[in-house]
Amino acid sequence: MSDITASYSRILRRETHSPRSAPAITVAVILIVACAYAGTEIVLGLLGQPPLLVAPDDAIGTVAGLSDAPAAIVAAAGVIALLIGLALVILALAPGRRAKHHRRTDRSAVVVDNEVIASSLARHVSHAAGVGPDNVRVGVTHRTATAEITPASGLPVDTDAAREVVRAQVEAYALTPRLSSRVTLAKHGKVGA
Amino acid sequence: MNNTNRAANRLFLLTVGVIVIILGAAAIAVGMLPDVRSAWTDIAPATASEVNRVLGEAATAWIWYALLAGLLLTMIVLVAFIFRQGHGHTGRLVSTAETAAGSTIIESSFAEQLLASALRERPEFVSAGVSTYQVRRRPVVKVAITARRGVSPTDVVDIVERATTDLDSLLGVQVPTLIHISGGFRSRTTSATRLR
Repeated sequence: MSDITASYSRILRRETHSPRSAPAITVAVILIVACAYAGTEIVLGLLGQPPLLVAPDDAIGTVAGLSDAPAAIVAAAGVIALLIGLALVILALAPGRRAKHHRRTDRSAVVVDNEVIASSLARHVSHAAGVGPDNVRVGVTHRTATAEITPASGLPVDTDAAREVVRAQVEAYALTPRLSSRVTLAKHGKVGA
Repeated sequence: MNNTNRAANRLFLLTVGVIVIILGAAAIAVGMLPDVRSAWTDIAPATASEVNRVLGEAATAWIWYALLAGLLLTMIVLVAFIFRQGHGHTGRLVSTAETAAGSTIIESSFAEQLLASALRERPEFVSAGVSTYQVRRRPVVKVAITARRGVSPTDVVDIVERATTDLDSLLGVQVPTLIHISGGFRSRTTSATRLR
């Protein structure tokens, strides 16, 4: 059965992290277009036809004459290239964690979007605290679930009950990474509603 | 769950990123550092005209063809790389070893349709999709649920696991299952749950 456990942990890791397919495909398409263009210019040059934009030997000459071009423009282009390269390296090395939590049950592996956790908590908080569903805002990040209750004027808000229900719910979800919960009362209430 | 080669994606991005950084740094050096700038002026134009002279000779025309072949090869590899993304579906859910009486094969679509029809009619869900992937040479069923706003993840898991347990007893084997509970646009735009 440990084989299944290994499969599950592989699945959960892959489902909660970005595959980096979109940036990889984008870069690949740009490179393909660049290769196709360079190839076209080379073929045109070999056939003695006029180039589309620049003939290959002119391109080599332009690169060689880089130091004659205005220094500011060359440096600015360099900075832009540096930033793009940096972005690609960060994409390659950053974990790319998605806004999801996961858990294992006896029968299956479960992946839950943070959004689903938040909307479930919001419903429970609004019920427990005795406020309308529109007056509860829940944010779920990787490690914390925060509920903010906006009291309506003249109506008591049962913050303790809200706290208790959030704690109990978060515990019942039994998600990884573990969520710590916080319930706050907005400083300014709303009139009516 | 698909078998996208993620290490390849990251390696590719890293390689291209490092090359772009080196080119950018070189351009900045030529633009901003006077020493590099004058060195470039001394060396580069002469080198370029020498390269162009050699490439212009009839005897070295093969270099152009080699370049063309290299570009073509790069493009083919890149296209293959793009189409390598995704994949990993399998049509076979269970296949038992051959016995004297023959062997049993259960198609994935059987389990997929069974689960999907059991889950779609649930009021807690906006939609339910079932697909089967091959993970570490073993079929794994993925149940993708779009839950209505406010539905608790534990309730979703309970409902789905009831359906998968039924499937288990029907098939006689337990197929590993991933339950993916998402919110998303359709969940935001449809009415919230009325269940407690």
